[in-house]
Amino acid sequence: MIPLAHLRDSFEGVIPSVIATTDADGLPNVSYLSHVHIIDDTHVALSNQFLSKTAVNVAANGLATVMVVDGLTGAQHILDLTFERSETEGPLFERLSAHLSILEQNMAGIMRLKAADIYRVRDCRAVPAPHPLEAATALKAPDLMEPTAQLSRMLAEAGDTESLLDTTLDGLARLFGIRHAMVLVPDDSGKRMITIATIGYERFGIGAEVDFGDGIIGIAAATRQTVRITDLSRGRRYVEAVRSMAGMEGPGSIPLPSLALPFSQIALPMIAQGRLVGLLFAESEARFAFRHRDEQALSLIGAQLAQALRLAEQDRDRPHAGEIVPLHPPERVATAGLFQLRFYPRDGSLFLGDDYLIRGVPGRLLKHLIEEYLKSGKQEFRNREIRREASLMLPDIKDNLETRLILLRRRLAEKGGPIRLISMERGRLRLEVDGQPEIVIIEA
Amino acid sequence: MLAAEVAAFIEGQVMILVATRDEGHRPMIGRGSGARHDRASGLVHVLVSQSQWPLAVEHALPGRPIATTFVQPDNYRSFQIKGQITASGPADDAATAWGRHYVETQLALMAQLGVTRLQLSSTLSDRDLWHITFRPSDIFEQTPGPGAGRRFQTTEAVA
Repeated sequence: MIPLAHLRDSFEGVIPSVIATTDADGLPNVSYLSHVHIIDDTHVALSNQFLSKTAVNVAANGLATVMVVDGLTGAQHILDLTFERSETEGPLFERLSAHLSILEQNMAGIMRLKAADIYRVRDCRAVPAPHPLEAATALKAPDLMEPTAQLSRMLAEAGDTESLLDTTLDGLARLFGIRHAMVLVPDDSGKRMITIATIGYERFGIGAEVDFGDGIIGIAAATRQTVRITDLSRGRRYVEAVRSMAGMEGPGSIPLPSLALPFSQIALPMIAQGRLVGLLFAESEARFAFRHRDEQALSLIGAQLAQALRLAEQDRDRPHAGEIVPLHPPERVATAGLFQLRFYPRDGSLFLGDDYLIRGVPGRLLKHLIEEYLKSGKQEFRNREIRREASLMLPDIKDNLETRLILLRRRLAEKGGPIRLISMERGRLRLEVDGQPEIVIIEA
Repeated sequence: MLAAEVAAFIEGQVMILVATRDEGHRPMIGRGSGARHDRASGLVHVLVSQSQWPLAVEHALPGRPIATTFVQPDNYRSFQIKGQITASGPADDAATAWGRHYVETQLALMAQLGVTRLQLSSTLSDRDLWHITFRPSDIFEQTPGPGAGRRFQTTEAVA
């Protein structure tokens, strides 16, 4: 029997699997199956969603034969299965549900997952291919341990939240050849992810939002399950569906940076101490850019980044002796005239003139800083005092101030004026304003 | 006798799955390389590459049951036809010719859908074709979704 671990890439569902069963009288039934999930070398799980006849047959004799296909090479394997049990909750069920959610957005009519059916694999054999249409060339499997270890060392050296984010994305590009990637963090609503760092796109798209449940990013965040799609080429309909669900267009929002025609995507939730700290997303114009082993490597990087981000937040109030020196000396810009900031208390959104700037915690933060600036001319702030500021009344801010400030600073930088936030020595920031701001509160 | 709609469907550009079974009722999977419906006799003919699907062919014995599923790859529309095998043997030149034609046209269609020749390298084969004939007894709608598995034509109507 061939160990299932040897055919990991055949469990991607790019080319549909096949399942055959027999009824109590021995009459066969054969149909396609969206996914076969590998559990270990001798067990697989099948998603039971619309397989009514299959379910009846398996209940009768416990037998199923499944064929899985490697989406890249076309190699086929047949698995002789016997039914063991059904699961209707738990991590495996959740993982299968997440995969089905992605498929549901593609194929109309698929019903929700009823159960994850666990089968024991009695035999696994290759389908002979004595006359292949095209011979598969030997696949290159680059060593991923070395770049993973290298990036891990670089992350260990990174001193603060901002350099952790930049080191991760730079490292993915340089060491893994992953040229289009982003990191998102949960916003204060607990219902959406917000983009904090990107690489490889025409726009940075800082502040772009994705609702939980929307597209690959939203499903990965909502379910805390990694979602990986290796070949989006099978039909233009699919690609268009993915594109439309990946971006969030509309008034008052920032479009999510995205490739025009992605073929592979991966979204990895970053969990630390049981909490969703962020999400690492990468995409590629190549087919099969992210396979099982890439997912393993990226999940290690994601886990380390999650831990490091948590640590960086906890390290924020460390007393620091010595003179405060700006990390980026403020630029002298000619003073412009009066400009208006419109603030909507309902969701904390802030508009610069008619242009949407940001919302939620970063929006409230900026309003607070500008108000202080207008009141007292104050331009330097300590994170510690911001965190204590009762008027912000933000339950989430204690743990996530660093990421919110980075988000705000980068969004302002991408906007290109007239407000800038300058990162100072750890725990301080400087507000720079060209012109005279006026805050207008709109109760809507 | 299959409904005209189903007969045209299975002879068209559809992917074909075949399942036979051994004495212990363990199912054997194969892929079809073309199908025909004989309107006069009511029988269904399906070709399977013997070298590629040796077990499915080994158990394709006259008198044994068989299931065949036909899927239109661009919209997933599917029918499953079940029945009893009446004849099984190597394909003659005429059957081999329509098997080759099927594989050729199917490759062209799949290429249009973005499926590469490499991805289909072991899926479609026109070599060592085996000719299985069966009398259909049941037809089911198999299109994914809530209606999957619904009986399309009754046993009486088919037989």
